[in-house]
Amino acid sequence: MVEQKAVDTYLPVLLLLIVGILFASLSFVASGLLAPRKKPTAAKLAPYECGIVPDREPPTRFPVRFYLVAMIFIIFDIEIVFMYPFAVVFRQLHTFGLVEVLTFSVTIFVALLFLVSNGALSWGPAKILTKGMPSRTSDSTIVRISAATSTEQAA
Amino acid sequence: MNLLGTDPLFVNGVSWAVVLIVVVKVVVAFAVLMGAVTMMIWFERKAISDMQSRIGPNRVGPWGLLQSLADGIKLFFKEDLIPAEADRFVFKLAPYLVVVPAFLIFTVVPVGGQVTLFGHTFDLQVADPPMGILLVLACSGIAVYGVMLAGWASGSKYPLMSSVRASAQMISYEAAMGMNVVTVLLVANTLSTRGIVASQGGSILHWNLIRTGFVPFVLFLIAVTAELNRPPFDVVEADSELVGGFNTEYSSIRFALFYLAEFMNTITMSAIMVTLFFGGPAGPIPNIPHLRWVFPILWFTVKVVAFCFMYIWFRAALPRMRYDQLMDLGWKRLIPLSLAWMLLVAAAITNWRWAIGVLAAIIIAAVLLLRAFDLGGARELEDQAVLPSIGARPLPGYVLRQLTDAEEVED
Repeated sequence: MVEQKAVDTYLPVLLLLIVGILFASLSFVASGLLAPRKKPTAAKLAPYECGIVPDREPPTRFPVRFYLVAMIFIIFDIEIVFMYPFAVVFRQLHTFGLVEVLTFSVTIFVALLFLVSNGALSWGPAKILTKGMPSRTSDSTIVRISAATSTEQAA
Repeated sequence: MNLLGTDPLFVNGVSWAVVLIVVVKVVVAFAVLMGAVTMMIWFERKAISDMQSRIGPNRVGPWGLLQSLADGIKLFFKEDLIPAEADRFVFKLAPYLVVVPAFLIFTVVPVGGQVTLFGHTFDLQVADPPMGILLVLACSGIAVYGVMLAGWASGSKYPLMSSVRASAQMISYEAAMGMNVVTVLLVANTLSTRGIVASQGGSILHWNLIRTGFVPFVLFLIAVTAELNRPPFDVVEADSELVGGFNTEYSSIRFALFYLAEFMNTITMSAIMVTLFFGGPAGPIPNIPHLRWVFPILWFTVKVVAFCFMYIWFRAALPRMRYDQLMDLGWKRLIPLSLAWMLLVAAAITNWRWAIGVLAAIIIAAVLLLRAFDLGGARELEDQAVLPSIGARPLPGYVLRQLTDAEEVED
């Protein structure tokens, strides 16, 4: 009986879920009826790249940082999942609850410290070339074409 | 905590009358949401154009009010294209995964007080499940799948990059968002959204905005803005880098659904923010017979519109953040700050000695974290990362050829 009552309150959520799915599906049906049914050209079906013909496949390899973020996220999300029940019964637990959650937070914080100090969460561009190249000056990189040709003409 | 449903509608079990009321509520909520979205789109376009000294939509209906309706109808008549490279099933599935959670989040938002109609007392809220606020987080989690799969299934470069960015961004800020919700729950002591609103009853001083000390609200606001991919965190659709975001390949009604979900999420997240920090429908109620139930709805609407306007203002005023700045803000600032403030609030609830102790611990932790920032920054600048000096760079072939050709012609 008790369980059933709690489940009852989800009835409107279920109904709105159905309404939402119906709305989306009926939109597709309506669009199917109303939209023009032409056979699209090959150019139209090609991946959109602002008019440039794509000459290679979409990348299958991604910077490893994205995977890192996904993995780190799992740890932090689990941390937060444990925080919800704690927050709700906090008044009953008093000091015990506080000590528990402080201990828990310290372990998570140490993990964050480790990640940050390893640069795992640094997203900036790889900072290379920042020290400069002494041998590269404007004399060595800029070719003064006009000056060269004008001296030749004068000669 | 009350694990039972607190919804007075379900006290006597489910009867046909109750089901009827639920159906009416759901249909009304659906209609109001759709109407609100068209108004929101119009409002955003009109407000942005005012801020940019333009006129904005003014052709369809009075003051262009029906513009979004016209756009919606137009999209029904547009060719529905599935790109050749696309994964057809997932491509079709993704819009559902984005739109349906957007609808569901709104169910738990308390819009007004209680109303008695035909002998049944019910809340002006679609549903009041005991785990209300968790439903919000669950649905915003599912929406990430929609975005990720939409980009992946398009079989095109830029949508894929955009969706990978989007999912990394959304999960990063979800952690910060959840942590600030925990702070609110510490004060409110319940997961039910109606309970959270009830705990803020009384004067303005009882609002969680004040009771949690303002900081969680600011952090939550930033996290939600990033979660919604709204400017200044809209790197997902950065038009100058990625063609148009994860929905580039979508056309016709499929695109319309993504667009709809985006604006619907803006509205519902504003509503969630009002519920968590601004007392939901709370506000002064003048004693007018038969009309007392209108005022909570009015207050709620005013507060939500204020937040919607703020999002529009963000878009007009703030430049887009770079992706690395965005991730740094999320992981290195928001998450530690939210955690620290949550612990501080918990300690302050226990007693003041604990509060001082935790504050001291937080200051030590902040120093450690700053040191870690330094170490992490130094890691990026390792000696071996600097390229060896290579001297003068030889000129590219085509420049050399141009030079020699020019000489030959002149001679």
